[in-house]
Amino acid sequence: MTSANIRDVLTSFSPALDFFAICSGDGRIKIWDTVKSQVQTEFADIGTAGSDDLIGGTKGGHRSVDYTCMKWLSLGKKKKRKLGSSLLILGTGSGDVLALDVSAGQLKWRVSDCHPGGVTSVSFPAHGSCIYTAGADGMICELDSLTGNLLRKFKASSKAISSMSVSSGMYENFNGKTLATAAAQLKVFDCSDHRKIQKFSGHPAAVRCMIFSEDGKYILSSAVAERYVAAWRIDGSKKKLASFVLAMDHPAVFLDSRCIATGDNDDEGLCVLAISEIGVCYFWSGQNIDELRDCKPTKVSISTSDQHSKNNGVVPTVFAAKLQAAAKSSSGHLFAAYGSLIKPSFEKILVQPGEDIKLNSSADGILLPHGQIKKGKKGSTALTQITALDRANAEDASLPISKILDGVNGQIVAKSGKSNELVEFDDVTHCMEERLISLGILSSDSDLSSNSQFDNTLLNGINLEANMPQKKMRATISSMVPGDAYNLLKDLLAMWKTRSSTGKLVLPWIRCLLIIHSHYIVSEEPNTRLLDSLYKLTKSKGEAINSLVQLAGRLQLVTAQIDKAANNKSQSFQPLPQTDESEDEEVEEFLYGEEDEESQSSSDNED
Amino acid sequence: MITGGKSYVSSPPAFSNDAKKLLICTGSSVSIFSTSTALQISELEGHTDLVTSVIVVPASSKLLNYCWTSSLDGTIRYWDFSVAELVKTITISLPVHSMVIPSLLSKSSENDEKQPDLFAYVSVDGSQGKEKLPNTLCGQIRKCNLTKSRMVGAVTLAETKKPEFVTSSPAGEYIGIKDKRKLRIWEVPTKDSERVFYKKIKLHHTKKITTFAFHPTERIVAAGDATGRILIWRGFGDKTLCVRDKSANEDLMNIDDGRAGVRGEDDADSCTTWHWHSAEVKVLFFSSDGAYLYSGGKEGVLMVWQLDTEKRKFLPRIGSPLLYYTSSRDPSISTISCSDNRIHILKMPSMEIVKSISGIKLPRAVPEVLDGSCNGLAFNQTSGVAAICTDNYCIQFYNLFDDREIAEVQVCERNHQPVDEVTVTISVVALSPDGCVMCTVENRLPEDGIGGLVSLKFWVCGSQSTNFSLSTIVYEPHRNASISEIAFHPTRHMAVSSSYGGDFKVWVSKNAIEQKDQARPINGWKCHAVGSYKKKPLTAAAFSVDGSVLAVAAETVITIWDPENNVLVAVIGESLEPISRIAFIGKSDYLVSASRGSEPQLSVWSLSRMCVSWSYKLHIEAITSTMGDSFFAVLGLFPKTSNESTLHDVDGVILLFKAEDPVPVATWFVRKARGGGLAFVHLNPESIEGNTSDSTPAPELLAYINNDHEYVIFSPHGDQLDERGISLRENHVMPEETGRLGYESIYGELADIKPLNNLNSPASVLPSGRPWETIFSGSSHNLPPFTKLCSVFLESLLEKRTTDVE
Repeated sequence: MTSANIRDVLTSFSPALDFFAICSGDGRIKIWDTVKSQVQTEFADIGTAGSDDLIGGTKGGHRSVDYTCMKWLSLGKKKKRKLGSSLLILGTGSGDVLALDVSAGQLKWRVSDCHPGGVTSVSFPAHGSCIYTAGADGMICELDSLTGNLLRKFKASSKAISSMSVSSGMYENFNGKTLATAAAQLKVFDCSDHRKIQKFSGHPAAVRCMIFSEDGKYILSSAVAERYVAAWRIDGSKKKLASFVLAMDHPAVFLDSRCIATGDNDDEGLCVLAISEIGVCYFWSGQNIDELRDCKPTKVSISTSDQHSKNNGVVPTVFAAKLQAAAKSSSGHLFAAYGSLIKPSFEKILVQPGEDIKLNSSADGILLPHGQIKKGKKGSTALTQITALDRANAEDASLPISKILDGVNGQIVAKSGKSNELVEFDDVTHCMEERLISLGILSSDSDLSSNSQFDNTLLNGINLEANMPQKKMRATISSMVPGDAYNLLKDLLAMWKTRSSTGKLVLPWIRCLLIIHSHYIVSEEPNTRLLDSLYKLTKSKGEAINSLVQLAGRLQLVTAQIDKAANNKSQSFQPLPQTDESEDEEVEEFLYGEEDEESQSSSDNED
Repeated sequence: MITGGKSYVSSPPAFSNDAKKLLICTGSSVSIFSTSTALQISELEGHTDLVTSVIVVPASSKLLNYCWTSSLDGTIRYWDFSVAELVKTITISLPVHSMVIPSLLSKSSENDEKQPDLFAYVSVDGSQGKEKLPNTLCGQIRKCNLTKSRMVGAVTLAETKKPEFVTSSPAGEYIGIKDKRKLRIWEVPTKDSERVFYKKIKLHHTKKITTFAFHPTERIVAAGDATGRILIWRGFGDKTLCVRDKSANEDLMNIDDGRAGVRGEDDADSCTTWHWHSAEVKVLFFSSDGAYLYSGGKEGVLMVWQLDTEKRKFLPRIGSPLLYYTSSRDPSISTISCSDNRIHILKMPSMEIVKSISGIKLPRAVPEVLDGSCNGLAFNQTSGVAAICTDNYCIQFYNLFDDREIAEVQVCERNHQPVDEVTVTISVVALSPDGCVMCTVENRLPEDGIGGLVSLKFWVCGSQSTNFSLSTIVYEPHRNASISEIAFHPTRHMAVSSSYGGDFKVWVSKNAIEQKDQARPINGWKCHAVGSYKKKPLTAAAFSVDGSVLAVAAETVITIWDPENNVLVAVIGESLEPISRIAFIGKSDYLVSASRGSEPQLSVWSLSRMCVSWSYKLHIEAITSTMGDSFFAVLGLFPKTSNESTLHDVDGVILLFKAEDPVPVATWFVRKARGGGLAFVHLNPESIEGNTSDSTPAPELLAYINNDHEYVIFSPHGDQLDERGISLRENHVMPEETGRLGYESIYGELADIKPLNNLNSPASVLPSGRPWETIFSGSSHNLPPFTKLCSVFLESLLEKRTTDVE
């Protein structure tokens, strides 16, 4: 099994974290869109294109460009999405410094042979207008970030510098003020006059990565083949020893740190992030330095259950991370790039101290995971298991609990629960039953109940609740079998009698039945009784109408007089008798108009 | 204040001379993109209204980067776009809809010692200031002297009903416009001056012409019509435009018979028709050598015709109607603009899409059947992400703060053909507050009343915040009825769907219930509870901020449920029209509802008193409320009839209220509010670098998306964001104008009924405003003593009276 090694991978996040540049040693720089996880653009041969370089005049010359360091610089103070204000700074092994304008896709400037023997490190203060570069020649160059012009240059060391860092951060008094170089020995310089402030020794080998803490009080560094991160306090004293160390399992390749605002400015908390050579991310945090010193690291790693990728020789790793503003006292938001170098995934991770995090890397986007195609497929189907529900999706759902409340709405609740139940096990007969309940047929006389089942089908086309146009009514009636029609007539009569349905709606049906099926009804044996009762009923109602009309006339007269007499009306009296009376009136007029005649004629026939 | 969501395809883009930059009109600014990376480089800001055209001044040197822009704000500006600096502004005080500068294109004007005046032909809207009559010709083609910065008086080439798009030939010899079924072409004099005679011709066709193009060298014009045909007139204007001696002209008259396909008295040699496109032709363009003709139609296919042989090549599956084709000086790069707000950069001879620049998706066409019941917008209030339904059955996730697309999720598995009739629509989309669950409803429209299907889909996102995968699909969740609204529980994995069919269902994630007995969790959703109220259509639903109460609107009344146990707690009523939106207001015990229709109403209900607190007669498009305090904002529409001239273009208003107070805290007037959206969003903390004081919660900002999906995010409470250095811009949002202009039809405040705390039986549910009907119901031993009750009763009666008198 090959162990992952991310030593040679250069990575950098854009200042707004929306892009990620990665260069894995072949001279190509890929810019990933961290939001969409796709390649935004790729720089293949910038080192040679458009320049009269001797090395790579031919195509494919990018292979000879060997980048040694990469950092993403934001120029503008304004925090805007526009990428025009950021540059990707690259150092090469041949000693050149390049600046790429990523959004324009162009080389912005280039300094050839800045450091003979190779550029080893670039660094810059936040929103800075200058860039510091360090090289194998022991020199520090200060470049103008817009044009690439060399501003100043000084010799920091007689040996090759392996790492260099400039203090940067939100604190203005530290930003860009001090500079630290390291080979095996750490040196701290004042940026303005290049005076040496302090010197630390203790690293046995060349320092690989080094940063200033955000408040500029500490330097964190880690050397090659050294399993810890050392912190050095900058106080101008003669002390040459590390103030504390943070232990790791493998040497670190990348460091980042953030301050935790605790209120008092003297002793602020610090959180530190390191990525080890094998791609595990370590996170320490502490409210103060003592706490940090005793802190156990929280690890963020890729879960090792993915067998297939191991066999392939490509081990998914966490290969870049950046701390975002620490949210709470001791937890940290970090933005990490992980997975394979070919197809990184990006994620915001909230790290709580003491809770190790295992990330799952997806094999999506990798063409043909070698020898493990089947397994991969199985995994993907398991992932995309979809639950599908059909119409009966609410079988075991809880229905509203019926509850009788002592208000008007209490009954409503109960009813709604009941009706809902009916609908849920929905069946045609149930529906009909319910409809009949609402019509009041089921609860009507006992002699009718025997017929009720039959009636259901009879009443099917008949809507007794609304006024139907005459034509439709006629069509339904005439399509009936005479026997059914007779039964219907019986039922309707009973309904009218019991007043379970208003006469206004029932009477047109009766009339229609009588007109169309008169012959059959007359010929039916017990018809006399039925028609008699109908006749009686109409007659009694007819008799009532005369007196009612008289009463109505009188009432109208009285109200007219009252209105006339006093224009301020007492309306509360009027509506009650009027509505009552008008209802009856309507019914009777129907009778008088046609119905009575009809019954008359039928009785004539009977005679 | 953050603005964004600009359309990239409102007008054709332009390439810089070295073809490395692309200038795109984006709203009131011009954005410059790199063609190699498709990332934005810089922006030209200065216009105050929509920029309608951008013309790069051709130059042989690569260092000269100048361009002209015209805008609806009535100015023409001259920029140096390499440094994004304004050089010159010409005010012509008429909205410019299109501009061409033909003399820039003719090569003769270069190397001249004395530069002649530069003339632009502009298509302006001349109706301003005049009274609007139904048949006035608003569009005018005018001439503008750019050197002397003034309009040339008394030169109006044409008047049309609407301002038309002016096209000029590649060499600058001719300009033309399409005017319904004819083309009108003018010859631009080689020595252009203010007073000059224009030769003009007209070419007629039987169908509406949609686009046309000039051949770069020969006198050939190609036009596309609404049915998909392409007409090619060769040798147009032989008689009128060419200067010949008279005898030759007479000869020409004699050989009149050979003019195949030319209509009537049109001045052209021949006219041929090509027909491949099935729908409207939108793009026509001749290649720079004149050998090929590019055509693109509504169906989203780019065609290349060899002009002589009519051989064809395709670039299919672009996926949405094409709008413009732009070529650059570099023959290997060109772009096509699509109507889904996307610009594809093509590698040319092979016609391969190399890069795409995409913006927010433009509003989709919703079939009329479902109009009103569709909301194609959802917001994630905590991260400032909007989910937008698109035409091609996708949901686009758009980060409003960064103004960029995050992801796109395909909701229905079917191919989108822009020409086809829409048969499936995504009618509802909702996002859970934590942003990891999405719910969509799609309606398959019935054909002839058969085959309609509603399906509800739950999507969960994986480890990253972008890739949603389908978790549960429910076919016919409410039988055949369509779903009116979906609301998510604020803290738990619970959602409610309310349907017009009269019931609502509460859905829960299975994962949340049975975590133990399953080794591998299946993130399925299932129905937890069903409820209905009097079988009324349920029109809206909302959870309270703490999630303990569910409110479902049953047409005109609001029912309050306990979602856990599925118990009807209370009923509040009653509005005049069916309620279309409801929302709980923060942590206060108020509920706000909006109803549409002939009697639109915005009502605030007090949950403690079970009655209306106050209401307005106002048509409400969207409601949003803050999570924390008791503010809420509504997007109201002005009635269509009150088109006052003072509020030109302004058709909506954003009102910010405090729950208890009917007087709005703040008012903003907005454009294109119909179909817009409104939401409170939190500024994500990592976007404000340096502000590490995390103890203060992120300020709540108000995001407003208008009908064209342009959006603005601003602080509703004043100027916390003014450090960003932008004040409210007038074209989007007018600064606060207190007073009640525009929504004068204010409803009087309704009666404020005192709480009946004395009746402390919890079950007594009182319909609003009529306490005396139910006050004595119940058994007598439950009633409070008469002395207590009487005063309350009388008090309520008394109050009613006083309001009546008012």
